[in-house]
Amino acid sequence: MNFVIVLRKELLEQWRTFRFLIVAAVLVAFGLSSPLLAKFTPEILKTIPNMPPELASIIPAPTLADAVTQYVKNMSQFGILLALLMTMGMVAQEKERGTAALILTRPVSRGTFLLAKFTAQALTFAASLILAALGCWYYTLLLFEALPWGTFLALNGLMLLVFLVYIAVTLLCSTLARTQAATAGLSFAALILIGGIGSLPRISDYSPGRLFGWGAAMTLGSGEAAWPALWVSVGLIFAALLAAGLVFRKQEM
Amino acid sequence: MTAIQIESLTKVYGTVRALDGLDLTVEPGVVFGFLGPNGAGKTTAIRILTGLARPTAGRARVAGIDLAADGRALSRTIGHLPEEPAFYPWMTPLEFLDYLGRLYGIATTERKAHIRELLEQVGLYETRKRRIGGFSRGMRQRLGLGAALIHRPSVLFLDEPVSALDPAGRKDVLELIDSLRGRCTVFMSTHILADVGRICDVVGIINHGKLVVQSPREALLAQYAVPVFELEAIESESLRRWADSLRQADWVTAVSLEGETARVTVKDVAFARRELLASAVQAKLELTRYAEVKPALEDVFLQLVKEGVS
Amino acid sequence: MENIREYIPLLVPVIIIQLALMIAALADLIRRPRTKSAKWLWAVVIVLVNFIGPIVYFVAGREEEIEE
Repeated sequence: MNFVIVLRKELLEQWRTFRFLIVAAVLVAFGLSSPLLAKFTPEILKTIPNMPPELASIIPAPTLADAVTQYVKNMSQFGILLALLMTMGMVAQEKERGTAALILTRPVSRGTFLLAKFTAQALTFAASLILAALGCWYYTLLLFEALPWGTFLALNGLMLLVFLVYIAVTLLCSTLARTQAATAGLSFAALILIGGIGSLPRISDYSPGRLFGWGAAMTLGSGEAAWPALWVSVGLIFAALLAAGLVFRKQEM
Repeated sequence: MTAIQIESLTKVYGTVRALDGLDLTVEPGVVFGFLGPNGAGKTTAIRILTGLARPTAGRARVAGIDLAADGRALSRTIGHLPEEPAFYPWMTPLEFLDYLGRLYGIATTERKAHIRELLEQVGLYETRKRRIGGFSRGMRQRLGLGAALIHRPSVLFLDEPVSALDPAGRKDVLELIDSLRGRCTVFMSTHILADVGRICDVVGIINHGKLVVQSPREALLAQYAVPVFELEAIESESLRRWADSLRQADWVTAVSLEGETARVTVKDVAFARRELLASAVQAKLELTRYAEVKPALEDVFLQLVKEGVS
Repeated sequence: MENIREYIPLLVPVIIIQLALMIAALADLIRRPRTKSAKWLWAVVIVLVNFIGPIVYFVAGREEEIEE
């Protein structure tokens, strides 16, 4: 199998084109700034001139929960945005540039080509998220108190799973589209669609986005599990990759 | 076993018939020149033969492998240089060839030696550690040729290998292709006839998705060796007017003008020998030269493509 | 207030990351002979949109150079 050779090339590409550095930098920056923001926001509010003392006194003191909530909020926004931005070009660019045609006339199956890209992207996001989580954990320790590492790890695992859903869906869009611009349009449409459907009352328990809430609650030692959302997420990843593979197999370069 | 065998290959894009029942056979070991005007279907044929596109109808076998059946085996047997080869700009030539070599499962020591040999052959050994991102067209073309040869293919497809190059680069690449003779079958598409004339053993001419003629180059020249008349005159304006009027004559096949030289191909040579000069004299051309010359491939090509149209 | 001042050094890594991204993008922009759409527009986007500006530039703004 040539999977390892192709994966090695994808990882080298992630490194040489600074994709890994960008993802790591952004996620780490938000990992660090989340507890900082949780700590500072009430303090900054208090410094507003002429604030009535009664109002100042009801501003609650920051807690560990604020740090976790801030972390999950930032990651859910920027992590998903990054997943889209960094994955959009992966197949479309190779089709546009002509490198896809060059590689696919070699002993590389189209499935291998796609799967290597997904795996490389998954590894990049996993590594970056580990760094971000370490940063967040350390800053939270300095500013608040130690986070329970077991459940915090689970929270990050769940977040990675959501990122993988968006990476797989964007990879499918990148396979469907002929150009990078078309991919961008398709992926943002998919993002809005998934978000929109996920916010419907009955369906929200099955939405990948529900995993953020589950993870946050779990870290803080409360809330109930959202297994359906987890299975739906795993299912979405497989379905998107399978669809991408089937579409790609029929495509002419 | 034939190197390439194409039977009534058809490819339809929307309403355009890019290939319209193409039949073609290429014997192993030859350098085959696949000729045709722009849009004749050359690239489409190569894309199908390399497995990048699927035919609408018809069959093709390359090195005995049925295209419809076995893509994996095909990729190990053929090499392909697209018209504008694409690379990863962040790689170096060394890394790129190494990547391809690994994909073919070539063992490390052999791979290293072969890559070094290839890089020297295509003149990129000195720049083997530079990023491909800043490479010129000529360097890309040569690297593409190296990439197409990495697995020692038995059939090599080259799509307009020299069209994008300057004369010096063109000469280098053509010499390289010439040196492949005997090592593998070369199937080379081009619309530049001078290049084909220099290195191709066999020529196939395609127009409107159909084969017009296929023949060894020398035989083609001999068969269509209708002499060409060359006239040179001092004043090009009157020459142009005379050429225009001559095109109307029913015994003339084609008149091509280049500066102060007109090249005339005719249907009836004997008749032309009697009448052509007389007509030039009548038009009061200030002739400096009149000659009957052997045809170049270009004349044959123009003649055949023109016949194909009518 | 003292609370905040005590923690200011913790902000330094975040600011460094943000500046590094911005400077890397600007350096690439200056070095590159051509970009998709106007250069000054990219400069504005890179400087004004935190984090996302440089990323969008890296992903969508750059055009590959081929020596003629």
